Amino acid sequence: MSPAKIRTSEELVDYAATLDCIHCGLCLETCPTYQLTGVETSSPRGRIHLMRAVAENNLVPDDAYRDEMEFCLVCRHCESVCPAGVRMGEMMSVARDSMHEDAPRSLGVRLARWLGFRVLLPNRAALRISGSLLRFAQKSGLLRWLAEHSPVAREQFAALAALPTVAPANLRRMLPARSPAIGSHSSSQTSVVSMFEGCVMPELYSQVNRATETVLTRLGAEVCTNPAAVCCGALHAHNGDLAGARSLAQKLINAYEPRESTEDSASTPIVVNSAGCSAHMKELAHLFDSADPWHARAEALAKRIVDFSEYVAPRLAEEQPDLRLDLSAPITWDNPCHLCHGQSIREQPLDILRSIDFGSNAFVELEGSESCCGSAGIYSALRPQDSADILDPKLDALKDSGAKLLITSNPGCQMQWQSGIRRRGLDVEVKHLAEVLDDALSRSVPESELDANERGE
Amino acid sequence: MNAKVHSELRAIVGDRGIVDSPTRIVPYESDGLAILRQRPELVLLPRTTEETAACMQVLHREGVPIVPRGAGTGLAGGATPVEGGVVIGLARMREVLELNVEDRFARVQAGLVNASLTRACEKHDLFYAPDPSSQRACTLGGNIAANSGGPHCFKYGNTTQHVLGLVIVTHDGEVLELTESDVEPLGYDLVGLFVGSEGTFGIATEIKLRLVRRPPVVETLLAIFTDLDSACETATKMIARRLEPSAIEILDKLTIQAVEDSVFAAGYPREAGAVLLTEVEGLEEEVSATSEDIRAIFSECGAIEVRTARDDAERLSLWAGRKGAFGAMGRVAPDLYVADACVPRTKLGAMVQQTVEIAKELNLRLATVFHAGDGNLHPNICYDRRDQDEVRRVLEAGRRILESCVDAGGSLSGEHGVGLEKLEQMEYQFAAEDLATMCLVRDVWDPDRRLNPGKLIPLRACMETRAAFIGKTPQDIAR
Repeated sequence: MSPAKIRTSEELVDYAATLDCIHCGLCLETCPTYQLTGVETSSPRGRIHLMRAVAENNLVPDDAYRDEMEFCLVCRHCESVCPAGVRMGEMMSVARDSMHEDAPRSLGVRLARWLGFRVLLPNRAALRISGSLLRFAQKSGLLRWLAEHSPVAREQFAALAALPTVAPANLRRMLPARSPAIGSHSSSQTSVVSMFEGCVMPELYSQVNRATETVLTRLGAEVCTNPAAVCCGALHAHNGDLAGARSLAQKLINAYEPRESTEDSASTPIVVNSAGCSAHMKELAHLFDSADPWHARAEALAKRIVDFSEYVAPRLAEEQPDLRLDLSAPITWDNPCHLCHGQSIREQPLDILRSIDFGSNAFVELEGSESCCGSAGIYSALRPQDSADILDPKLDALKDSGAKLLITSNPGCQMQWQSGIRRRGLDVEVKHLAEVLDDALSRSVPESELDANERGE
Repeated sequence: MNAKVHSELRAIVGDRGIVDSPTRIVPYESDGLAILRQRPELVLLPRTTEETAACMQVLHREGVPIVPRGAGTGLAGGATPVEGGVVIGLARMREVLELNVEDRFARVQAGLVNASLTRACEKHDLFYAPDPSSQRACTLGGNIAANSGGPHCFKYGNTTQHVLGLVIVTHDGEVLELTESDVEPLGYDLVGLFVGSEGTFGIATEIKLRLVRRPPVVETLLAIFTDLDSACETATKMIARRLEPSAIEILDKLTIQAVEDSVFAAGYPREAGAVLLTEVEGLEEEVSATSEDIRAIFSECGAIEVRTARDDAERLSLWAGRKGAFGAMGRVAPDLYVADACVPRTKLGAMVQQTVEIAKELNLRLATVFHAGDGNLHPNICYDRRDQDEVRRVLEAGRRILESCVDAGGSLSGEHGVGLEKLEQMEYQFAAEDLATMCLVRDVWDPDRRLNPGKLIPLRACMETRAAFIGKTPQDIAR
């Protein structure tokens, strides 16, 4: 009844008009912006109502309409509870892409978007330079000064100032092209995987990438990286640049398609440690018409994408290493939206955490661990106040939980939590799931085995 | 209203408590009955009883009509705005004010979501019993207005059985406290009168509710049938033999398929003609004896399979499927008309048959899901509101279904209320004198008829009453 794909504004109009949403309201309680405001317009049902009013010519899109669309975090929590299966993420991508056709953004915003989306993110060299510039600005105090005194974009500089300190260049090395498996494993365990390093991960969270690689090799995988794969285009798709998202999707598909010069075969899994990226990479086909050859190629790539926890959990269950990590205080887990709502991955991260013996310090549950932290890609930079307001109840929950280590699985969420925790003055550390597992594994691997491996035997 | 009044109201509720942009107001144009739409002039979202009262005083002075709104999940148009009117929404009043575990009650703000109350008290082994299918979204204030039901109301009774007290803001902004410490009200039961008044008596802002102890043992059974008739016959027999499960629900084939396609897929078999979902609660011996008797009726009536939920997760999943049924119908057609009527439970089978015939005659797609325990039918008609002729046929079917229920000795509403949807049929169910009496009661609470005007009681009946009392003709009043 409704079109299979929503790719263009015409299709959005079709879809909104023949919409599966019948206004039942089950989405209301899940929506962070509705929870924050109590205004139905700022709920999934309300936004769909607006889209439908536009589709039926009962409403002309104006600033208020665009603001409501941009207020949405695209966390897709509503999709997890929608009985009619409304595809809010897809609808939002197209609504945002088309809504500036008649009302162009300001010159400054267009310039910033061009720099960010078209120059910086797709380009490894530009990312590397920006990493160094950012480190300089952080170390010299320039960024702090800009965040307080800049005549323009002060909020955005403040958002940059909240980023984690960039590590020195020698720690920001890209991973080696191949890393062999460590230790002895049953033959079913030894395999080749391709690891996606991501765009900002090597600059901001290089230690997470290293931990991911180590975990994979310790579980018996030979890890390859692919220098041609840089940015997956998720940020573009979520923020109204479908053209940019399509072009990056094509680059990514090209990069991973099996050919002699690369390690990739049609069955090599691609492990992704950023939930927002893995969710998007599984859905690249949405960007192309089903008759377009790129559509089938995107689907072939999607079959190989596995989130870190999705790859690791079953292997860990099979290996059953004796994992211990004595911590001084309880730990908790916050599930990134694009992991639980975007990919329905809920049990795997918990299975991984349950396989580790944390000593006397138990795992505590975080209330609302499936609700959005307000990071939402670049949302925290675009709408810093809303983003902080959305995180507030979660910070309360974190405080109530008593946890001193919060684990998540997405760089945006990690940054958002870190800056919120600093703002509140809480004493809680934030780590990626891979870092915790790496710690636990490194403490459980028998020394002899490690030595043997390091000697290259 | 002029800009001065707008800013006066803004000063009361704050910037975030007022929705007045012509775009932002659009989603408030309807409630769950999307076929009826009217954009209001303004939406106000007060945070407290005091703010509500202050708003109501200003609106009283200005003579502005008011439509109260919970979460807008009602299905009878009870929260459809009126032209030039103001919507007062409860969505920002969602605090639990007091949780008294020993005396087993809670005091809450009226905008608290139904399911949040159970969540707040479940660690004390207590729960709030009325469980409408929209319980994850609908507000307790909205439940008061509609006297809402739900599957388990078969055992526990509708909302009215659970309300111990109310704080009400009246039409002119006065705050009335009807909260009593005793379970049995002294004098007139004004709380009882208020529950189910669909926003025509005032706005409840705080509610004192009874909490119920969680039963020690719960058994959930799913019986699978090849046809809807056998499922109805089973329900009728269960009641006739005085078995007391806490809920008896039936879903037909089209509903099963829609649910199974959704995120709430509960494992109902797609090839079944109907499923009957029932639950037995109590002490171990009691539960196993009742469940034994129920199983006997299942096999007597030709159930092809009976499943028992093995654990809480499976039980919740069976219920989540039932409660997501309404929304899941969006998979069948863009719009859904949910009828709501009651018949004596001995007439369930015949009435279901009749709704099937009405739908067939008018060439409409019908999916039926109902609270069989209460004799509360929900024939769901799937349609597309862009097809004018289909809309006409849907309304025709709705009218005929409601009238047949009344003819069968039943009632216009099981739980959704009258709202705008069933206004016309009120005259079918009640004599003119009855409606006139209701109008007299309504006039005591709202002499200017500004509270949810045009809902619940047909305007004509009201105008006639007033004419009789103040010696004017209905035409004079209409003017």
